[in-house]
Amino acid sequence: MEYIIEAEGIVLRYGDFVAVDGVDVKVKEGEIFGLLGPNGAGKTTSVKVLTTMMRPTAGRIVINSVDTQNDTVKARSMIGVVQQHYAMDMDISVRENIISRAVLHKIPYKTAKVRMMELCEAIGLTPYLDKKGNELSGGWKKKTAIVCALMHDPKILFLDEPTTGLDTQSRHMLWDIVRIFNKRGATIFLTTHYMDEAEALCDRISIINKGKIIDTGTPQELCQSIGKFTVEYDSEDGKRKYSFFHNRESAKQFFDTVSERNPIMRGTHLEDVFLEKTGRLDITSLEGVLDGTD
Amino acid sequence: MGLIDETFRVALSDLYYFKRNIIILTLTSLVTPLLYMLAFGFGVGSSVEEMDGVSYIAFIIPGVVAINTMTSSFSTISHKLMVQKRFYESFDEMLLCPVSKSALILGKCILGVLKGSICGVILLALGYLMTSDLIISPQLFGMMILSCLIFSLLGVAAGVVLPDLAWTDLFNSFVILPMTFLCGTMFSLSSVPQIVADIIWVLPLTHTSACIRAIALGRDFPWISFVVLMIYGTFFFILSWLALNRNK
Ligand SMILES: Nc1ncnc2c1ncn2[C@@H]1O[C@H](COP(=O)(O)OP(=O)(O)O)[C@@H](O)[C@H]1O
Ligand SMILES: [Mg+2]
Repeated sequence: MEYIIEAEGIVLRYGDFVAVDGVDVKVKEGEIFGLLGPNGAGKTTSVKVLTTMMRPTAGRIVINSVDTQNDTVKARSMIGVVQQHYAMDMDISVRENIISRAVLHKIPYKTAKVRMMELCEAIGLTPYLDKKGNELSGGWKKKTAIVCALMHDPKILFLDEPTTGLDTQSRHMLWDIVRIFNKRGATIFLTTHYMDEAEALCDRISIINKGKIIDTGTPQELCQSIGKFTVEYDSEDGKRKYSFFHNRESAKQFFDTVSERNPIMRGTHLEDVFLEKTGRLDITSLEGVLDGTD
Repeated sequence: MGLIDETFRVALSDLYYFKRNIIILTLTSLVTPLLYMLAFGFGVGSSVEEMDGVSYIAFIIPGVVAINTMTSSFSTISHKLMVQKRFYESFDEMLLCPVSKSALILGKCILGVLKGSICGVILLALGYLMTSDLIISPQLFGMMILSCLIFSLLGVAAGVVLPDLAWTDLFNSFVILPMTFLCGTMFSLSSVPQIVADIIWVLPLTHTSACIRAIALGRDFPWISFVVLMIYGTFFFILSWLALNRNK
């Protein structure tokens, strides 16, 4: 079987507001899949729906051949979730958090202890086992949440914005943890609004904006879709302009025509793709306000 | 058996929390009932000869114990659940675990029952030292634990139904606090106007207070109150169950 998650036409409404608007997602077994989108795009809501925390208004989700709405319990046994914020109790220790979670999953105490030690060793959490949640910095809270989520040995790990609010060190540490667990066989579904994170970590990416998937592919495919080469330069009105090209020659040719305007020729980043497809914020209206001419 | 097993699985993280903070949690819960005992028992009590045929202190101690079953169970549970739901996000993850909704509801009550019962035992012990009119019996403890459970269920219902902490505070101020004073805990309902008494009669604490007092003072057990309490308990349970149904 190729796809471990197959979601079709997912819709979620909060009252009149459509937070997720017909999303299709297909995730291959063993890959790191990224849902990339700005704040408010519907990433968290999508994760909540995919992980059965919320029932979709419409649509169908199949996880490892199990329809989540038909056999929710079985579907849940195959997923682990790390939510966007703390995702652990702050007033008990790391160890107590992990054991409580294992007990909820009906894992025998002895097995749970062995698994806890093994997971904690793998990511260097062991020295912190007896610290309380509120004594930990963000990265260690996330580590705890990840171990909690992995106690029942799920096939898929969902991480909702795992590095938002973390410092650079913790961010890179977390990327490594994601890679470690991915190597050990878990399929990873993560959301992020960081382009570099998606680029560095994910095998495939879907870009989401205003509740809709705009494009899906590997980072390379997405970059190629608008052109592998980028020339950026100053336009007449002072703004930075971007042009994309499929081969080096045409990029070079264009580069020469704008040589007076501080041009830079470079490879296309995911950020360019994202901005091209979701639209850059236009500052013209803002300028009008500043000039008092609008 | 499955239900009891799952209930304690759900309660484990709360029990860890209780174990860590047992002294602080118990002492904080005892402050309010102790103040009532002091202020009403000795302050008011010195000018009130007797109420309902017993010394005032013997009258209010069961009332204060009833109040304690409500305040220490309800506020702990509703507050903790709301924090786990809104801030720690651990409640959502609990919903994903393979335990039944009933076990979730009952498991979340355990902390309240435990804390309310421990405080209740301390209050009864103090009361026993202050007056010889109280009858301490197994039934009294049973009734106390039962009413802790009922108010814990109310706490769970509030925690899962209300959207955030502002609402639990509101509920505390407009429902819980008035009940504390009005439900025949500190004064006999025979002295208030009929219409007011009728309204008060509807509230659950009135019945908790009546049941606990009847047992503590060796009077006829008010079975109607007992039935009303059971109905309340069932109602709170169903309310929580329906609220959880939305996402579990
Ligand atoms: N409980 C809710 N009620 C109403 N609107 C909500 C709720 N949760 C999220 N939203 C709205 O849905 C949209 C998507 O939210 P979310 O999925 O949290 O976005 P993201 O995680 O991508 O930042 C946002 O516009 C947000 O304001
Ligand atoms: Mg989010």
